[in-house]
Amino acid sequence: MKLTRDVGLLFWRSELQLLRNPVWLLVGASTPLLYLALFTPLLGELPGLHGRGTGAVLDEFLPGILSLLAFSSGAGPGFNVIFELQSGVIERFRVTPTSRLALLAGPILASMVAMFVFDAILVAVGIAFGFHAHPAGMAVLAVLAGLLMAMVAAFSMATALTTKEISGFAAVINGLNLPVLLLAGVLLPIALGPSWIRALAHVDPLYYLVVASRSLATGGLASSATWEAFAVLVPLCGLTLAWATRVYRRAVA
Amino acid sequence: MTAAIEVDGLRKSFRSRAVTVEAVRGITFAVPGGTVFGLLGPNGAGKTTTLRMLTTLLPIDGGTATVAGVDVARQPATVRQRIGYVSQAGGADDLATGRENLRLQGALYGAARGQLEGRVAELVERLDLSPFADRRVRTYSGGQRRRLDVALGLVHRPQVLFLDEPTTGLDPQNRAHLWEHVRSLADDGTTVVLTTHYLEEADALCDQVVIVDHGQVVAEGTPEALKREVVGESLSLTVRDPGRLDDALGAVQAVDGVLDGTIDGAEVRLRVGDGSAVLPAVLGMLQARGVDVESVNLARPSLDDVFLARTGRSLRDAGGPRAEVAGE
Repeated sequence: MKLTRDVGLLFWRSELQLLRNPVWLLVGASTPLLYLALFTPLLGELPGLHGRGTGAVLDEFLPGILSLLAFSSGAGPGFNVIFELQSGVIERFRVTPTSRLALLAGPILASMVAMFVFDAILVAVGIAFGFHAHPAGMAVLAVLAGLLMAMVAAFSMATALTTKEISGFAAVINGLNLPVLLLAGVLLPIALGPSWIRALAHVDPLYYLVVASRSLATGGLASSATWEAFAVLVPLCGLTLAWATRVYRRAVA
Repeated sequence: MTAAIEVDGLRKSFRSRAVTVEAVRGITFAVPGGTVFGLLGPNGAGKTTTLRMLTTLLPIDGGTATVAGVDVARQPATVRQRIGYVSQAGGADDLATGRENLRLQGALYGAARGQLEGRVAELVERLDLSPFADRRVRTYSGGQRRRLDVALGLVHRPQVLFLDEPTTGLDPQNRAHLWEHVRSLADDGTTVVLTTHYLEEADALCDQVVIVDHGQVVAEGTPEALKREVVGESLSLTVRDPGRLDDALGAVQAVDGVLDGTIDGAEVRLRVGDGSAVLPAVLGMLQARGVDVESVNLARPSLDDVFLARTGRSLRDAGGPRAEVAGE
């Protein structure tokens, strides 16, 4: 009761802050579109896709961008925690009886809603250029993307709370960024790599989302990729949330 | 008056790598209800650390603390309901308006929707926020922001309000304005505990102070009583040739009516009986020794003199600007 009320209050607080930050809105909405605009022409020249038209390229590439967006949306709340540590906001909340889980969940949910809005814009633009969206597949993909985003966000917020300083936090996030993105095969198909790269990809949670997103986008609801993604992301997300809540309880006791 | 706060043998140390810093080393004091209480001391003295323990933000290593009748270590959640805390950084949301900030804070404290608006309006009125209450906080001046911070700490009608360095960075006019607000809170029965390194602030605002240095209480009492302890007046002078400070000190200590003297940075500081009688003799002596005096200042005792008398250091020079151990 108290928890849901606090989550609601802090959700709206974060959502308002996002909406009142026009630069963030503009960058948030335009970055995935830029990826599409700049990468689609490049990918059109790949051997398997050559000559099959923009729609086919988008079918292959747009689901990956949605996965990428889920990953990058998760980093935002962590950066915000660093800022709020410095501006005294966290401390102000700490002396209130606010539920500690709500301090974590409110911002995550707010960023998730923002992510879904950006996802919708991206898909709408994609459809205009020939992307074949399968509604049921997209709905399942949204659930998976939400799971991954919540996991990354909880990780980044707890890391921010532990490192306390932008330098340490940025080092962790940037250090993870490149290997996670490359191994997931978001931009370049992982199938191009040698077998050890393909094996290593399996420790990357984003990899499962990317693989599942490609089959879901074509309507393959019950594919093994989807099940694998759920099997990996549900427990991983649960574990990360539990760990982050623990960090919050302890640091914000 | 019953004690709003009782602190007994409070301790805290921080470990960073191999070094252990004892930030608070057995502090004891009591704060009567409805008064303004000052924790005075240089940066790094342990003021903020003490405050953070009393406000449940830091675990207590040793000793006990009771705030508003509740043991801080045993029932932190109950303490949180009864106290307000305004940190040095403040912590209002920049992108929200003052009123929105107050509304959220009230709601997080569990205020019913029906009562929230009334309480917010009351605080806007009380702390003179109305001209800018519906503007975003990012546009506020330092003084406006500080008053909002205080209002945020008051939203749930706490019995005890903690203010950490409330007037740091404010100009004299805004500082005096905030003092009035703090004073009126105490007049209405709220106990206010504040930290400061401004002597005038403790002197003008606080009913009682403890002076803290190196994590320990070096003096406590009303500002008046503390100043009375320091006998005589304070005479400080600077000389044209800093190399002759020692000569100057040696010379004037022989003058009748000079109780003792130290060199404090670039000036000679003397404790004297009757300043106006001693001053001509001091100047005469220095002239006779050929020491050129640059400036002279005669002052009634201040809390700075209390600090100097107890620690042998001036409050202004003690501790570095970044010496305070913030810690979590």
